[in-house]
Amino acid sequence: MRAVFYYFERDLVKWLRGKVTVISSLVMPAAWLVFVGLALPTKFTDNYLEFITPGILVMTMLFSSLQGGSLMIFDKILGFLNKFLAMPSPRESILYGKILFISVRGMMQATVIFLMATVFGVRILNPVHIFLIYLTLFMFSVFFSALSTMIGLYLSDHDSYSAVNSMISMPLFFTSSALMPYDVMPSWLRILAKLNPVSYAIDSIRTIFEGGIPVQGLVGLAIGAGIMVLLGTYQFRKAFV
Amino acid sequence: MIEIRKLSRSFGNLVAVDNLDLDVENEIFGLLGPNGAGKSTTVMMLTTLLKPSSGTAKVCGYDIVKESKKVRSKISYVPQDMAVDRKLTGRENVQLYAKLYGIPDRNSKVEEVLEMMGLSDRANDLVATYSGGMRRRLELSQALVHEPEVLFLDEPTLGLDVSGRKKIWEHIRMLKAEGMTIFMTTHYLEEAEKYCNRVAIIDKGRIAVVGSPENLVSAIGKDASLNDVFLENVKTPEEQAGFNSTQFRNLLRRR
Repeated sequence: MRAVFYYFERDLVKWLRGKVTVISSLVMPAAWLVFVGLALPTKFTDNYLEFITPGILVMTMLFSSLQGGSLMIFDKILGFLNKFLAMPSPRESILYGKILFISVRGMMQATVIFLMATVFGVRILNPVHIFLIYLTLFMFSVFFSALSTMIGLYLSDHDSYSAVNSMISMPLFFTSSALMPYDVMPSWLRILAKLNPVSYAIDSIRTIFEGGIPVQGLVGLAIGAGIMVLLGTYQFRKAFV
Repeated sequence: MIEIRKLSRSFGNLVAVDNLDLDVENEIFGLLGPNGAGKSTTVMMLTTLLKPSSGTAKVCGYDIVKESKKVRSKISYVPQDMAVDRKLTGRENVQLYAKLYGIPDRNSKVEEVLEMMGLSDRANDLVATYSGGMRRRLELSQALVHEPEVLFLDEPTLGLDVSGRKKIWEHIRMLKAEGMTIFMTTHYLEEAEKYCNRVAIIDKGRIAVVGSPENLVSAIGKDASLNDVFLENVKTPEEQAGFNSTQFRNLLRRR
């Protein structure tokens, strides 16, 4: 399983060397925090920034996980995947390496948001809560990066991948509890939001911000992430391209 | 080294490889044929990337379906895409493969293959600055880092200039001299004639003819070349469709 780390290292070094990609991935979530968190005139809460920070954290993870599937697409169309699949190291380690890289990259972005939110006056929590937030974000990211990598392995060109990506990412975000609490939602949206795995992660992080421990949310995300990883492992083992 | 028995693969209605029987010994073996003849499909089955529809094949004594992992530990595969990471240096590209293969004395092995492929002095440069020939040699370095018994090369000299092609062939010969079996596909018949020990020409997934280039050529006649053998055995799509060039020329003239 050391191969997982080597695949991870490859993607990380390549990402860090593309300076534009690093800067853009850190600026996008910051822009959300400032332009939506500080600017939106809301009435249901005195401190909208504190309300929306968990939403932005999860949104960042969601978008970067879903976008991460394009790594798989490029490895596939450029011929890297065939070379990797012809090697004796377990094929699923390609998937695990991708999940690890996408999640670590997402957590680096989340850290930037965390720091900025703290500067803007969101309460600082104790280390246990910070750990729990990162754990939630990580499991959430595993779920969606496994999904996006599986879609990437299944599809064969980048255009259809970005089509699938935009088709699922925006609806998932806007039907979640990221931007408003359930009690101000129209009832049709409330039903969708309750079913949405994205709200699951957001609600868990809100509970942690309020000082609680969302056992149900953490267990749910762990099960979801576990199922995705199992499905992905199966798909990669069977990968006769 | 490679035993192929009644190997077939179809994609829907299209039969890409049709009941292929072939034995490859310790040699440089060239698989020739027109575009779409089933060369790459054959290579992908032998490298365990594609499941055969029927039939079997063994590489180094291991079944390509049932013992695919053992096959993968004995072979290296260089596809035709030139897949090397542009944002990594030459050395980092080879090191990745050494790590993935779990080579014990990693660093010295990496230096050894870079030296062998003549890339040592540029090993610290990003691959983005490499020429096509250097990228190809870098791919060979990656493939050689775990000392495979069989090396599969898909169009290794495609898109390279004359000196780049010559260099690649010299390296292939050297590897053969060290005991490696090389199984390759190519469209450059002059090169195959000069460097391959044996070649097979396949057309529509079937072997048309197999043997050493000298024997195949002399069977056709004096002053023939492998090109003549190829044209003799392969029907072009135009011929197949009953394309009449005289008629076509007359048609154009009339307009």
